[in-house]
Amino acid sequence: MKRKPETAQKPADRMLADVPLEEEVVLVRIDVAGDDVEPLLERGIVPGCTLCPVRHAPVGGPTVYRVDGVLVALRRETASCLCVRSSLEAAGVLDSN
Amino acid sequence: MLDRGSAPGAGVDRGAPLVAVVGPPNSGKSTLFNHLTGLRQRVANYPGVTVERRCGTVNLPVGPVELIDLPGVHGLSPRSLDQMVTRDVLLGEFEGDRQPDAIVLVLDATRLKSHLMVAEPVLALGLPTLVVLTMADELNRRYGALRRSSLSEELGVEVALVNARDAATLQPVRAFLKALHTGGEEVRACPIVAVAEHPEGRGAGRALPMIDLFAERRQRARELGRSAGFQAPRPSRTNERLDALALHRFWGPVVFAGVVAVVFQSIFAWAVPLMDGTEAAIAASGNYLGSVLPESWFRSLLLDGVWAGVGSVMVFLPQILILFFFIAILEDSGYMARAAVIADRLMHRVGLQGKSFLPLLSAYACAVPAIMSARTVEDERDRIATIFVAPFMTCSARLPVYALLIAAFIPAQPILGPFFGTQAAVLIGLYVMGVVAAIVTAALLKRTLLRGRSAPFVMELPPYRLPTVRSILTRLLDRTKVFLRRAGKIILAVTVVLWVFTQFPRMPGGEAPPIGDSALGQAGQVIEPAIEPLGFDWRIGIGLVTSLAAREVIVGTLGTIYGVESDDEEAFELQAALQQDLDLGSAVALLVFFVFALQCMSTVAIMRRETGGWRWPALQFCYMLLLAYAGAWVANAIL
Repeated sequence: MKRKPETAQKPADRMLADVPLEEEVVLVRIDVAGDDVEPLLERGIVPGCTLCPVRHAPVGGPTVYRVDGVLVALRRETASCLCVRSSLEAAGVLDSN
Repeated sequence: MLDRGSAPGAGVDRGAPLVAVVGPPNSGKSTLFNHLTGLRQRVANYPGVTVERRCGTVNLPVGPVELIDLPGVHGLSPRSLDQMVTRDVLLGEFEGDRQPDAIVLVLDATRLKSHLMVAEPVLALGLPTLVVLTMADELNRRYGALRRSSLSEELGVEVALVNARDAATLQPVRAFLKALHTGGEEVRACPIVAVAEHPEGRGAGRALPMIDLFAERRQRARELGRSAGFQAPRPSRTNERLDALALHRFWGPVVFAGVVAVVFQSIFAWAVPLMDGTEAAIAASGNYLGSVLPESWFRSLLLDGVWAGVGSVMVFLPQILILFFFIAILEDSGYMARAAVIADRLMHRVGLQGKSFLPLLSAYACAVPAIMSARTVEDERDRIATIFVAPFMTCSARLPVYALLIAAFIPAQPILGPFFGTQAAVLIGLYVMGVVAAIVTAALLKRTLLRGRSAPFVMELPPYRLPTVRSILTRLLDRTKVFLRRAGKIILAVTVVLWVFTQFPRMPGGEAPPIGDSALGQAGQVIEPAIEPLGFDWRIGIGLVTSLAAREVIVGTLGTIYGVESDDEEAFELQAALQQDLDLGSAVALLVFFVFALQCMSTVAIMRRETGGWRWPALQFCYMLLLAYAGAWVANAIL
């Protein structure tokens, strides 16, 4: 997908694990296989939902995200399977569609 | 009265309408249940699985209503034990249970967006449903909003906004329950059974890929919220401040360690006066009975068998209650989830996960409730690993054995001043051995039998809440009942059987035989060759066999065998008797044996139920026995 020059500087899609604290992002894709995704899905972590990292647990532990007004902790390895896009960009993509 | 309630083949039908209380974890479900039923509750296990079932009766002027409190779930798919049970109960597929006549679906109003996702599969069951939105007051306080009537219209069922701590707001819930008797209009099922394409239903194929299905469900939940004028509350400042502390880079682990330290301190130090009191009460009542009853076989059975045996277990009740008191506070306050997040990194490294922390902490009191609480570990491999290693945690039943042997064989010498001596060091050493065995075993399991990619760790952090006295007392009462039932059944049976074996074969004059000639003594001599390499004689052998029922039984057994009553003054006599039969090597061997061996039939039974077969408990028993035997042999050989 072509991006505008100003957004092309950084990759459009990032992994949730790389999103800095307090930046709101929209989930675009889940790269977890099979039924393993169900615990995520049940808590509303589905493509299109908004996630915001709010806090890192100490010593490299899980990170706490706000999803639909609920706090959910995910390990880095799980967050690395969640492909996201900043909420502003996501709004732009939706517009262009 | 609903005709559904008197349907033929409905199983246990006491006539009263049966209502299931369902909802996500931490939605205020149990608080509501407690408020409605008061102390008219019963805790039982579902047949075949150890998911606890809490039932209670609500007595209304029009008649009673039976409530059943189901485990907290995020959906109805059978991916975890809790969800499986909830689904089966709601579908009426649980053996011996009839299908509920109605459902009370409890959702947290402050987290409605997320909680509405559970509503869909539950409403799709087509049962008359009341949706109860808890935390109504908090929603208002934090500037959230919701139009109850619009939501009710959209869902097609009655909706009640309540504050589960304020009995006055529960009126609509009572009205709904009453209408089950009188047939009021409140009793409605969701008319849109079209949503029944959900995957959780019976036999439904997974037509849609799961991700799309949940994405659609979330979309519908959002639309529902929107048309009901739902405005999410602002994030709670208090909550954020508490999390800033609980998950702080430095203070988080400090708070965590502090909490663990307080729990341990309470179990091992603060519980002691209570345990001494219980022991004294049991001894005093036994002495009183002894002085009242005439000399007879019945007196011997009652005092030497029942009182000594059951009493030795009753002593642990204060300790277990104190542990559960803390667990209840930690869970109800919301801190337990933060503790799990803090512990996850460490636990993950040894092959477990953050949610294993609670079961393993509970296991320091007793492995049975610990194994039951492991069902909150959603990943099946992690759950099995957790319950497999839980018995390595030093449960309180090992303490009397440790106390007896350490006092008898380890000379008290100071190591670090007056506060820390050799005896304490040995005790800590035994605890550490258990932890090391658990870590190694978990790592081993995850590399062999339970190999595989672990499911994502998803831990919801519920809002912090002040625990209510009522909820904590209810839980402690539950625990007491469960514990007494265990003590009443298993321990009683073992002590009675044991006593019988000490009484036969009778001597020529009709007297009870000397212990060595009794059936029990003869049995001990048969197994003696097997335990001789460990430095144990037949008396210890008998103790080991009887301790298979429960570890602490060995103390009572040895007391019986050495012919001493086990009240305080004479405990020294038991120590002296042991000192003649064991040397340092064999005493340490016995300690090591108790660290590793799975001498607890209740644990084995609960394992079988939790894992759905004999495979895991059999493996666990043999593995731990092997470890115990090898460990004891090494200890005896080198000391």
